[in-house]
Amino acid sequence: MLEVSGLSKSFGGKQALHDVSFRVERGEIHGLLGHNGAGKSTTLGIILGMVEPDRGDARIGGISVQDNHAGALSQAGAIFESPAFYDYLSGWENLRILANYSIGFDPERARRVVEEVGLTERIKSKVGSYSHGMRQRLALAQALLPEPHVLLLDEPTDGLDPEGIKWFRDFILELRNVRGMTVLFNSHLLAEVEQMCDRVTILNQGRLVHEGSLQDLRDEDPVYEVTLDPWQGACEFLELNGARILAPGRISLPPELDPAIIVAALVGTGVRVSSFAPVRRSLEDLYLEITSRHGS
Amino acid sequence: MKFLRQLRGELRKLFGRRRTYIGYFVFLAMEAIILFVFKLEKTQDGMRDLIERNGFGFSQYYSSLTVTYMVMGLSMFLLGSIYFALVSGDIVAKEAEDGNLRLVLARPVSRLRILSLKYAAVSIYTITFVLFVGITGYAMSVAALGWDGGLFVWNYKMKVFSVFPDWWSGIGRIGLAALGIGVSMITLSSIAFTFSCFKMKPAAATIMALSILFVDLVLQEFPFFKPYEQYFVTWRMSSWVYLLETSISWPKLAMSYLFLFGLNATLFLIGYTAFRLRDFKT
Repeated sequence: MLEVSGLSKSFGGKQALHDVSFRVERGEIHGLLGHNGAGKSTTLGIILGMVEPDRGDARIGGISVQDNHAGALSQAGAIFESPAFYDYLSGWENLRILANYSIGFDPERARRVVEEVGLTERIKSKVGSYSHGMRQRLALAQALLPEPHVLLLDEPTDGLDPEGIKWFRDFILELRNVRGMTVLFNSHLLAEVEQMCDRVTILNQGRLVHEGSLQDLRDEDPVYEVTLDPWQGACEFLELNGARILAPGRISLPPELDPAIIVAALVGTGVRVSSFAPVRRSLEDLYLEITSRHGS
Repeated sequence: MKFLRQLRGELRKLFGRRRTYIGYFVFLAMEAIILFVFKLEKTQDGMRDLIERNGFGFSQYYSSLTVTYMVMGLSMFLLGSIYFALVSGDIVAKEAEDGNLRLVLARPVSRLRILSLKYAAVSIYTITFVLFVGITGYAMSVAALGWDGGLFVWNYKMKVFSVFPDWWSGIGRIGLAALGIGVSMITLSSIAFTFSCFKMKPAAATIMALSILFVDLVLQEFPFFKPYEQYFVTWRMSSWVYLLETSISWPKLAMSYLFLFGLNATLFLIGYTAFRLRDFKT
């Protein structure tokens, strides 16, 4: 549904993206992760046609954004962190103006969408009087009005209170589950990404360092908490067999190594194995491991 | 239809902002001051001298039409230009600065369409502003001097001198002149609009446009440039006064307005190229 291939972009001689490619399948919620300046917003900017890539291409529904901007973007809606509306106009007028840039404004449909996002009571008030949460709801409404197939979210939950974040998360999940919407979710709130996304792409200093499901990420070099005695001797044996010592009592094994065989081998060399338990790492752990491995 | 719907939205944005109306209020206040000045005996003596020295009757030509001509002619370049530059310098740059433009650019609409809409909106603003000044100026003049009387026109720089003794021909010419000033002033709006398309602050776009206007005005007054005055933008912009000649010289007018249209089109293209090449990113 959404595909970027070989994206490269530099700003004033500084390379912001190096040959980034990834795909988002139909009906998938895909997280785009990275530190500040990793290239997330540049990638999103290219997908939305706001940034011209030096090389590469972004496609929405198979249509190139660079070659057929209107055709590609007619399938997408976007929300930005702190969406800048026309504060001196009402929410309704903002929706009318923005909708007229795409398929046109249908008041009946607008009323339905406004009700869905829970803004009915304040939609005729000036946007300048809205809270941050209400602005995000209005942003959602303007993105959904043209009935897009793909939703591009740029740090949408930044600055929201916990209730707002939960509402937003549930709403996006429902959009995917009920309408089969495809979502690209750019965020550095890893707990949010973990709860919402099926797959993630991690950028580090403009380079893609991981693309895949969260499970793939966990399966890649699974981590174990171990109690081994003597520790030093066990470490030498483990490293010889391809394991990595992450910290005292914490190791990772390549996925092809069967932990049962390793335990048996350790016991065979005289190491006392008191515990050897897999650790379920959070996305934050995985993210930090990956980015530190790539020198961030 | 779609373009008109989008243009309506663009005008709603433009006329929904308070700062768009600063110029309207300032002009109303200025018109009131000018009319007060025109009621003063000393001013009337000066006008009497000018009109009677040319062999015309003061009571007939010291009229609401003549005062309206003076209000529009005197104020539009020096004061109106500030507001045209302010609004046109804002139209792209302010939205880019505030981030509104990202919401628009995320839509399936080309950058050419976005700029065409904004250019149409500032052109409409410019013309309606001039018409507003003309109508309110005339209304105030009527309140102060009465509605009847002829129109007395003199412009040394453009070498125009004419009189329209009856009210109907006078009001017709004043209306035509207001339209002419509006079209001329679109060039100033175009200059500010072009700067607004570049990556710069709205205030910078406004100041750059006004600088060009005033440098053009000042250089034109240098004796060295006298033989080349027709190449100056402000000289061409002053051609609206030909609409007040007794017998309108259409070739002269056409030449000037073609010059201005060509310049406007060039400025739009430069602005579009700059805007097209810009990356919009947080």
